[in-house]
Amino acid sequence: MKRQVPIIITFLIGMIMIFSFFIPPLEGLEQTCSLFFDVIAVFAFFLGGGNLMRIHVNKLRRRKKDWGFSIVTLGGFFIMLAAGLLKIGNPGGIAASPTTEGSLLQEIFTYVFLPLQSTMYALLAFFVASASYRAFRAKNREATILLIAAFVILLGRTPFGMLLTGWIPESFSVLQVPNMAIWIMNSPNLAGQRAIMIGIGLGVISMSLRLILGIERTYLGDESA
Amino acid sequence: MSSHPMTSRPLYFIILSFLFTFFPSCGGSSIALAQAEPIDIATTQMIPDSEQVVVEPVTSLIAADHKYDDGGMIDLSWVPSIDDQLVASRVIGYKVYRIEDEGEPEMISELAPGSNTYNDQSVERGKLYSYFVSTLSINAETPSVRTAPIEPQREWLNYELLNVLIMALVLGGAVIYFIETARRGKKLFVRKIAGLEAVDEAIGRATEMGRPILFIPGILDMDDVQTLAALTILGRVARIIADYDTKIFMPVSRSLVMTAGRETIKASYQAAGRPDAYSDDMVTYITDEQFGYVAAVDGIMVREKPATCFLLGAFFAESLILAETGNSVGAIQIAGTARPAQLPFFIAACDFTLIGEELFAASAYLSGEPKQMGSLKGQDVGKAIAMAAILIGILTVTIGDAWNVEWIQNITTGLVDVFSTR
Amino acid sequence: MEHFALWLGGFLTLGIFSFLYKDNPWYKLTEAIYVGISAGYFVVVYFWDNFYSKFWVGVFPHKRLNEAGELVAGVEPDYWLIIGGVLGLLMLMRLLPKVGWISRWPLAFIVGATAGLWLINYFASFVMVQIQNTVTPLFGADYNASLFVIVGNIVVAVGTFTGLIYFFFSKEHKGAFGSAARVGIFFLMITFGASFGYTVMSRMSLLIGRIDFLFGDWLGMIR
Repeated sequence: MKRQVPIIITFLIGMIMIFSFFIPPLEGLEQTCSLFFDVIAVFAFFLGGGNLMRIHVNKLRRRKKDWGFSIVTLGGFFIMLAAGLLKIGNPGGIAASPTTEGSLLQEIFTYVFLPLQSTMYALLAFFVASASYRAFRAKNREATILLIAAFVILLGRTPFGMLLTGWIPESFSVLQVPNMAIWIMNSPNLAGQRAIMIGIGLGVISMSLRLILGIERTYLGDESA
Repeated sequence: MSSHPMTSRPLYFIILSFLFTFFPSCGGSSIALAQAEPIDIATTQMIPDSEQVVVEPVTSLIAADHKYDDGGMIDLSWVPSIDDQLVASRVIGYKVYRIEDEGEPEMISELAPGSNTYNDQSVERGKLYSYFVSTLSINAETPSVRTAPIEPQREWLNYELLNVLIMALVLGGAVIYFIETARRGKKLFVRKIAGLEAVDEAIGRATEMGRPILFIPGILDMDDVQTLAALTILGRVARIIADYDTKIFMPVSRSLVMTAGRETIKASYQAAGRPDAYSDDMVTYITDEQFGYVAAVDGIMVREKPATCFLLGAFFAESLILAETGNSVGAIQIAGTARPAQLPFFIAACDFTLIGEELFAASAYLSGEPKQMGSLKGQDVGKAIAMAAILIGILTVTIGDAWNVEWIQNITTGLVDVFSTR
Repeated sequence: MEHFALWLGGFLTLGIFSFLYKDNPWYKLTEAIYVGISAGYFVVVYFWDNFYSKFWVGVFPHKRLNEAGELVAGVEPDYWLIIGGVLGLLMLMRLLPKVGWISRWPLAFIVGATAGLWLINYFASFVMVQIQNTVTPLFGADYNASLFVIVGNIVVAVGTFTGLIYFFFSKEHKGAFGSAARVGIFFLMITFGASFGYTVMSRMSLLIGRIDFLFGDWLGMIR
């Protein structure tokens, strides 16, 4: 029963969701399932949040490496919990939204969270440069093709691209970098995207069927699959 | 706004304009449809008739049951008022009224000028509804004729999607057929996928170096197929890790994924005969926030220095940060995602990349089990159908359009209809 | 407060940037703040937006007051949500070793729903729509397309076809099939290169924004 019931649940719910696409009276099930998922996810948050606290409290108690930073993590976590759940400093009081302008939660979000998030995003610029350096060493034919396509698209989106090939006469305008970039996006890029998307769609069908039919059961902790 | 028949008859329009300008009460509900009765709503009783700006009502109001639904929607369409013009319009909007079971009219929506359709989604089966639409001027309201009562109907099958159902059954049937064929012992060939062939070697490398393995299942929750794909691969990978007795870290950004990940790894250790070696601390929840998670994982990478990183699942902008950091600590990286926008970064920074479909095939491939491998053959049938449809479709549409050959054009139309999702 | 916020923002920004050099206590501190604050924030948002607004209010809807202060009937309770609540509670059984196995039931529910839902959605939008869109006349409607467009149409058709050949699992990439697969990978590499080039500029603009904050708002060097 411990093994069979989850497999039966997966099968039944999976089949119902498939047929809900075609049977109008069942159309609302998608929204209902989404709602159930949100509710389950909230309960699961107790497990996740509890795990976070347990890890850092253990680190503190056993004085593991960098245990001091666990105090900071736990401190930040509890401050946000208090500010949000008890709505401390919320101008609208307990009945207002926790993210009301001027509330402690929103202030911390604006002055701490947002700068951190923006800076992590900004790191991408550095990493894209290092990735480009590695990719552009063009060790093989495929990397060369990737390099050339990236280069043309990059140039085509800057005024420099127009400057570089603006002298080309109108009858050969297709050779101007911005036009080449547009053509690459609209033709070979589109072809590749379509092939990838068709493959993904078929892969999802196959994997979903394996899950629904109970052929794939590892996620349930059943190694016999 | 759909074109109004009256605007194509200038003289008629000029005469009407003259009449409505000097005799404003000429419009209103004097026009009636054969089976409907005129509605006499008082057009703003407080303002004298002479000062009212009376506009023409909408015409050809039709109420129809919305096709292929659960009986919860009625579609309205009409021809806008002749006074509803793009420039200097005297119409400021429309009001839709509904009468339920011969009760009182109830205003259910107010629409902008130019509107000619409305979907009433608050109807119930078993009740009769009729409608009329009022055209609004600055100080008057001109109702249209009322529609005949209509009852919304429930359809049990959406026939518009019949082709989708048939195609899905064909493909699903192909997958199931080959699963059964493989189960009965028929050998099915599957070509080597470089990234998956390297899994054993990558885990062995980590074992030899005494360094851990990092498994990142993407940043979305269990309601995303890519996360499910990552977890199915985790089951296979964790079994090898348990056999080799290597350390694994799996930081996650969703609590549900943490739960599923623990179930998967625990089962793998149990199957390997090493239940005591399993610990819940192998899978830890960090935070739901995308870049907070990335910041923490980057920290884990540079401090724990994993020998192998698996980046499998749904990734967004953070894919590059994770892949580059993993690269910088000298880890072998096997990545895979079904988000085409992130694949270039994985290809640039990782040793092996599973492209789209390969991510979903990975678990079946790694299992080596015939019934799982059979599903890969079924996927190929789908690709063959797609390729045949594309080839035939392009040929027929090109030739049919060029020489105007009707039977070839019919083939094209049929093919396009088969793959239409409306 | 404004002054303090600026300095705090500068401190946190440089803390994250310090990771580019190497791991250090400043980055560890910033990381710890980020993880703690963001985890707490999401717990709060999920609690109020999902648990309270969707579940609690759904099962126990508010009674509302109208303008005159009279009690107005609330919406009807949605008792179906209790199923979601029960599934959620079953998830928490994981904390009790003896009955922890029952937490697989809500997992099975989620996996079944996800698999069933996305199977048809992906098939319709990723397979059928893409096939339909690829069926276009090579020489344009009425045979009046320019050479540029015709070449583009042929490239799309050939690229899609050979790209699909590349993904074939049940045939070795040898001979004519292998050559077609190599053409397919050629198109895929162009696709990846195009994506790469397309996103580089947007990544740079994110950095510009942060530099603007550091040198403009914080240090006042850019006016």
